[in-house]
Order: sequence, then C-alpha cells, then structure tokens
Amino acid sequence: MAFRISHMLNYRFMVIFLLAAISLGVFVVTPSFARTVTDQLERTVTVPDEPRRIVSLAPNITEIIFALGQEHRLMGATRYSDFPPEANKLPKVGSYVHLDLEKIVALKPDLCIAIKDGNPIAVAKRLESLKIPVYAVNPKNLETIMQTVLEIGGLINAEKEADLLVQNMDLRIQKVKSLVSNVAHRPRVFFQIGVSPIVSVGTHTFIHGLIVLAGGTNLAEGSIGYPRFSREQVLALSPEVIIITSMAREAVFEQVKAEWNKWPDLPAVRNQRIFLEDSNFFDRPTPRLVDGLELLVRLIHPELFKEAE
Amino acid sequence: MAIDVKNLNFFYGNIPALKDLSFSVTQGDFFIIIGPNGSGKTTLMKVMAGIFKPKTGRLKILNRTLENYTRKDLAQTMAFVPQMMPVDFPFSVIEVVLMGRSPYMGMLGIEQETDLKIAEQALAFTGVDHLAHRKLDQLSGGEQQRVFVARAICQEPEIILLDEPTASLDLAHQIRLMDLMEKLKNETGITVVMVSHDVNLAAMYCDRLLLLKNGEMVCLGPPDEVLTFQTLEAAYGCTLLVDESPLGKVPRITPVPHKYIHRE
Amino acid sequence: MNTEKPLLIKRLWVVSFSLLLVLLAAMFLGLSLGSSHSGIKAVFQNLLGIGPQDPMLDTIIWKIRFPRILLATLVGGTLSLGGLVFQAILKNPLAEPYILGISGGSAIGAIIGILMGLLRFPGVSLMAFSGSIGTLLLILVMSSGHTILKKDALLLSGVMVNAFCGAVIMFLVSLTQDARLHNIIFWLMGDLSMVDMPQVGILAAMLLPCFFLVFWFSNSMNLLLMGKEMAQTMGINVKAVTVTLLVATSFMVSTTVSYCGLVGFVGLVVPHLLRLLFGPDHRVLVPACVLGGGAYLVFCDVLARTLPDQGEMPAGVITAMIGAPLFIYLLKKTRR
Repeated sequence: MAFRISHMLNYRFMVIFLLAAISLGVFVVTPSFARTVTDQLERTVTVPDEPRRIVSLAPNITEIIFALGQEHRLMGATRYSDFPPEANKLPKVGSYVHLDLEKIVALKPDLCIAIKDGNPIAVAKRLESLKIPVYAVNPKNLETIMQTVLEIGGLINAEKEADLLVQNMDLRIQKVKSLVSNVAHRPRVFFQIGVSPIVSVGTHTFIHGLIVLAGGTNLAEGSIGYPRFSREQVLALSPEVIIITSMAREAVFEQVKAEWNKWPDLPAVRNQRIFLEDSNFFDRPTPRLVDGLELLVRLIHPELFKEAE
Repeated sequence: MAIDVKNLNFFYGNIPALKDLSFSVTQGDFFIIIGPNGSGKTTLMKVMAGIFKPKTGRLKILNRTLENYTRKDLAQTMAFVPQMMPVDFPFSVIEVVLMGRSPYMGMLGIEQETDLKIAEQALAFTGVDHLAHRKLDQLSGGEQQRVFVARAICQEPEIILLDEPTASLDLAHQIRLMDLMEKLKNETGITVVMVSHDVNLAAMYCDRLLLLKNGEMVCLGPPDEVLTFQTLEAAYGCTLLVDESPLGKVPRITPVPHKYIHRE
Repeated sequence: MNTEKPLLIKRLWVVSFSLLLVLLAAMFLGLSLGSSHSGIKAVFQNLLGIGPQDPMLDTIIWKIRFPRILLATLVGGTLSLGGLVFQAILKNPLAEPYILGISGGSAIGAIIGILMGLLRFPGVSLMAFSGSIGTLLLILVMSSGHTILKKDALLLSGVMVNAFCGAVIMFLVSLTQDARLHNIIFWLMGDLSMVDMPQVGILAAMLLPCFFLVFWFSNSMNLLLMGKEMAQTMGINVKAVTVTLLVATSFMVSTTVSYCGLVGFVGLVVPHLLRLLFGPDHRVLVPACVLGGGAYLVFCDVLARTLPDQGEMPAGVITAMIGAPLFIYLLKKTRR
C-alpha cells in the first residue's frame, strides 16, 4: 500500500518535472528568433529580438554601436576598430576586407553587422550557411548614415539612444546649413586624400557631400570616385583651400605643404589656406562625419565664425 | 631487303637535303653511310628511322611501307641510337635500358620477368652489366654509348640504326663499339646501319658502303669499290692517299697534308 | 650480375603509402590549428567522437577548416603535378605550372572581374579561367610558326606573355583606389579561404580525372626525357602525348587558379624535392607529387594561418620561405 502511494507520487513528480524541464528546455533551447527584417541591401534576415553577442564587421559599425551605448553587446570587431579607444580591447576578427571566419564563429555570435563596401559577400553567405545572421548596411552619405544609426538602434534595442543621436546630428547639420545658406561665394576646395599620387574625391563620396554642405565647391567632383591628379592639373584648377587628410604623421604633412608652397600663385598658398586634418573624421561613415562637417565649415568659411566671436 | 629506298626526296623547308636517292640494304648487312659534312647522312638516317617524312619517294622496311606499320610495330622492328643523348635527368643504367622494352610493355611500362631478363642480357652483351645501378651521368662517354646500344638491343629489332656512334669516343672505345656491332650482326642476324665520319673504321667493318655528297648518292658497294681515291677525292674535295691496310684486304685512306703534296 | 632493382609496383606502393601518411598528418595538423586556438586535444576528441562535443568546434573544424584543407591538398597536388609535367615536356628544370601564360592571363581576367564587381564565385573564377585559357591559346598560336612543339618557342612565348601581362596588371592595380584593391592583392597572393564543401567537390571532380590522365602518361614522360626523336622511335606518339599533357595540365592549373588565385613556388620546388628524394621515374613521381604537393601546401597553409598574430600570411610566402632552404639543403646532401 505504502509502496503504491509513493509510487504514484513519484509518478506525478516525474510528470511535473518533465513538463518543467521541457518548458525550460524550450525556453533555453529555442532562441528567440522572432523577427524577420529587411536590411539595406534588400535582403531578408532573421535576427534575434535581443542580440547579445554581436560581431561588428567594420570599424564604423563598431563606432556606431559604442555611440549608442550598446558596447556590452559587442563580442568582437574587425581590426582598425579603434574608436572609441575602448574598442581596441575587443577580440579582432580579421580586417574588413579579409574576415577571419574561424575567429568569428569562435565568438558564437547571434548577429553580425556588415557593410556593403568592403565586406565580401562570399563571407556573409558562408556565415549564413553556418546559421549566423548577417545584417548589411550601406551608408553612402549623411542621410543614409543617420538611417543606418536608426536601423542599428532598432536591431539592438537602442531605439531611444538612436533617436537622440540622430536628432543631435540633424540639429547640427541644419545649423551648418543655415550658417552657409547666404554665403556669397563658395570657395574652390581641393580635398587631397592621397599624397603620392595625388588623389581627391569625386561626387559619390561622403566627403563631397560634406564639402557641398559646408559651403564649398569640390574641384574634383565627377563620376570617378577617387580621381587622380597631376600637380599641373591641380594648379590649373586654382584651389582656394587645400585640405589634406592622411594617416601620416606631421613630418609628412610639412613636406606636402612645402610642396604646395612652391607655387605661390595658388590662391590657397597665397592666403595660407592649406590644412591637415584627421582622416577619421572624413572617411568613415559614422556620426563623426558631422564633426568633420563642422570642421570643414570653419576651414572653408572662417569669416562666419569671426563674426560670431 | 631490310630497307628499300626508292626516289627519296627530302627538304628542310625549301632546301633540298636528299635528292632522288634509291638504294637498298640487304638483311644482315653491316651497312655504313659515309660522306662529307652536310651530305645528308644524318638526315637520311632519320628518314629511315621514321622520324622525318620524305617529301616524295618510297621507303620500305622489311618489304612494308612505313604507313603499314603502327608505331609500336615499327619500334619493335627498328631501333635508333642517336649521336647525342641528353643526360639531365639522372636515370640509372638499368632504368634507361629497360626503356628499350617500351614497345613490348603496356602504357605504364610495368616490367615483367622477361623484360628484366632481356635487359640483363643486353647489359651483359654490351659489357656494362657491372654498371647497372650507376647513374647515367656518372659514366664515361664510351660507357654511355654502350648503354644506349644495350637499350636499342632490348627493342629486339631487326634493324639497328646508329648515328655517328664513335664520334666522341677514344680509340679503344671506338674499336670496342664497332666490334660489338659486328658481334651483334654475326650472332643475331640484325641488320646494322650506321652513319660514320671515320672512313677507315667503316672500311674495316662494313659489308657495303654508301657514299653521299650534297644529298645525292655518289657510290654504293663493297669498300674496295667505293673507296677509290678518285671517288673519295671528288666527294671530299681534298687530296687523299688510298692503299691497302696491312691488316688485310681492306682499303686504307690517308688524308694528305699540304706539305706532303708536292712529293707525289 | 645483379639487376634486381625494386620492382616498380613495390616502389610505387612504398612511396605512395609513406606520402599518404605524411598527407594525413598534415591534414590532422590543419584541422587542429587555426586562428581560434581550439587545441589539439579537443580536435582529437572531436575526430574520434569521444568526450564532450562542442558544436562550435564542430562547425569550425568541418565547415571552415576541412574544406580549406581539402582545397590545399588538391591545389598543392595539382600545382606540383603541373610543375612536374611542364618540366618534363619543356625539358627545363625552371619550368613551373604558371609558365605558359597562365599566371598572367588568369590574373588579368580576375582583376577585370573584381573591378567589374563580380562575385568571387562564379564571376571572378570564370574570368580568371577564361583569361588563362586565352593566353594559352595566344601562346600556342604565337609559337606555332615553328613546330608547335619546339619547346623553346613555347617557353619563350610563355615568358614574354607573362611579362606583358605583368605590366598590364601593374597598370590595372595602379588605377584602383578603393577596397577592390585589397581584393585584387589577396587574389594575386593566393587565397585559400574562400571555399565551402560543394565548391571543393566540384573542384575535385574536375581535377581527379586529370590526375589519372597524367599518371597514364607517366611512362611516356620518362621516354620523352630521352629526347623527342628517341621517344618516337620507341613507339610514342610524341605529338599526341605532348599536346594531351599540355592541355590537361593547363586545364588543371587554370582551374586551381580560378579557385584560389596564384600560389607560387609549390609547382617549382616540390617536383625537384621529390625527384631528389625518389628519383626521376615519373611513374613514381606523379602520385608522389599529388600526395607530397598536397601535404606541402596543407602544411604551409597551417603555418600561414597560425604564425601571424593578426590575420594570415599568403600561403605563397610560406611555400617559398620553407621550400627554398629545404631544397638547398637536400641538394647539398645528395651531391655527396
């Protein structure tokens, strides 16, 4: 008799235990893949509701995630993800053109964010074949950067932060626009990104957009993305402002400046308007481009700020 | 007839090298082709070996035209020993000799017992069996030559063609090689066809001589018929003294240096 | 007199078996080591199916490392075999598999494909393949004024075309400024990382018949070394054999190039290494090159992946850095 009761109790226990285990297991084992989204390359991707292990496949994406205060979700990033400085501590998964598949998989990501320019599609496909979702973005100018910030914010549960960030960016951009709106003359700007050979930026680059917004004329505008110039051609264009960005050091800059100073007829030389700037503000599609924009305005239209002071 | 040539013409591009040659080689003969440089001796040999195709004319090997031979058949009938062989890649002697069995082995040349046996015999016959495992490039010129002959023997041919085999050999090896050819001919009945630049050597061994000049046949026959000083002086274009060798009824040819000419 | 040399079949088995062991060892090393530092013991357990199984490790080993190792084996084997065949046909010890314009033509094709924005597979691969076949045809036409098989004509035409292509490549590279430049450079240096199993399967299906074909002609290659005229009098159809080998080898090499770019030095040094070790008989060297060349590249690829802290070196760099001293050492040793 006693045996039978305990037996029945045991039986019930087992059932309850099993049910609990199953539901727990379901909860644990079934990932919360509840969302299907479309990324900026028109691909449909199934992403987790709460990504907790993100791998960023480009430095600008790393920056954006940090800017949204979501770095705790970030498990790894590509080399040269150096801003903010804390990002340097993240495990490296190769460079954005040559991703290290093994390292990425070893981090067990539940979401990877990639950019179109640079990340090879083949790697994205392989990651997906390994059941790792890849969300691709394609920021081409200030507007799409803001769009990207919002989308990433939506992906990683940081909508509020994203909205704030974008509003701030927009505000600053509008301010620049209004500052520049009544300017009489748009100075001719030669934006030099390559020293040897001399390379500038065409219409389909971020920098072009910034120059135009900042009230300047891009002397290198045209369909070629990164056109090259001989020194003669630059002289013929007669730039009023020369802005040089490179990741090189001061010494190289002085050398380049000296090169230009050999041509005193250049308006930029006459008025001593040759500047070296940090390329990080200009060639990465991140919110820092707005910093770059503000920098540019000061360089191109210093007169607007003298009045304010 | 081992080899039968009729109205053979051969050109290098547009340059005639062999002009209307007709002759035949009897089976079992020691047949030597002589002539000055550029007379077409080597060219003729290569045409006979099937390496070059004649422009016009007919060539029959053992009473069959070349077209009626498959490559393998021809290789089993006729073996060719060229003047120079590359020795860059260091095969061993036995490996080189076994290559002579190719016409009898399959595509991959997997050797059977018989093949090995024949190779051994060939090595013994040519007297290089003690060198069987040495690398070819470590041998002297004379020894290398004999290895190539051993390889030709492995093809079990009816006819063996040799292109100036004694050209780079010293006196001892020259005689040795010629003796070997004679032994081969006598013991196996193989027809030996040789190109030689050494007229005296040729005279001592051959059954019949063919004298060529400028691609044309000058004379064909046994040595004492061909090796007269008129014929030779006309062919070679220099003063020669022809007498009988003290070794026997064999012509002996001595080229005459300029300083001796006024004496005669 | 003793002419008992080890029979061919036995030699073949011994050499093949020992090199197969070397290959398997290299493959195991390749599966165990990689940028994610999983440790040899863990890999061992995974292979044998014992101990706790980690699905991430499983993925890394079988979906990432394994296809790469198979690719390295196939490519290393093909390039070594290609070098062997060209060295035999052209009778030139400096011949290597890219010599008949394959490197130049395929590079131009690939670069154009990359600049056009095509995908690695199938776009850029097909461009690379057509480029190399195109230059091969060009070379055959150029050198056919002489007898098509006159080896120096072929060789010289190949060298000239490659040099010209080199100039074109420099020009194209100098025009490129953006991320595509990276892709081009990686392709030029040899990149084994971009394949998955189905692609490797296709490659194997294309290459294995070529391996057998070359083996079928291995004795003919021995005979060809004795001189074309000699080979002919021994029953070889010299023209047919040479053309077949040329075409098959060029096809093989072009296919590997279209998969992974240019991996230098393997095709030059491995045949020489194996020849020093095993002798000049092609019937032994052909399987030796396939197995030994494969093992060599797998091993070099492991080093290329694990030596640098960040990223990986091009496999071609390692093959040269190891191969050259090794070769010199062996050369000195066997001179005695």
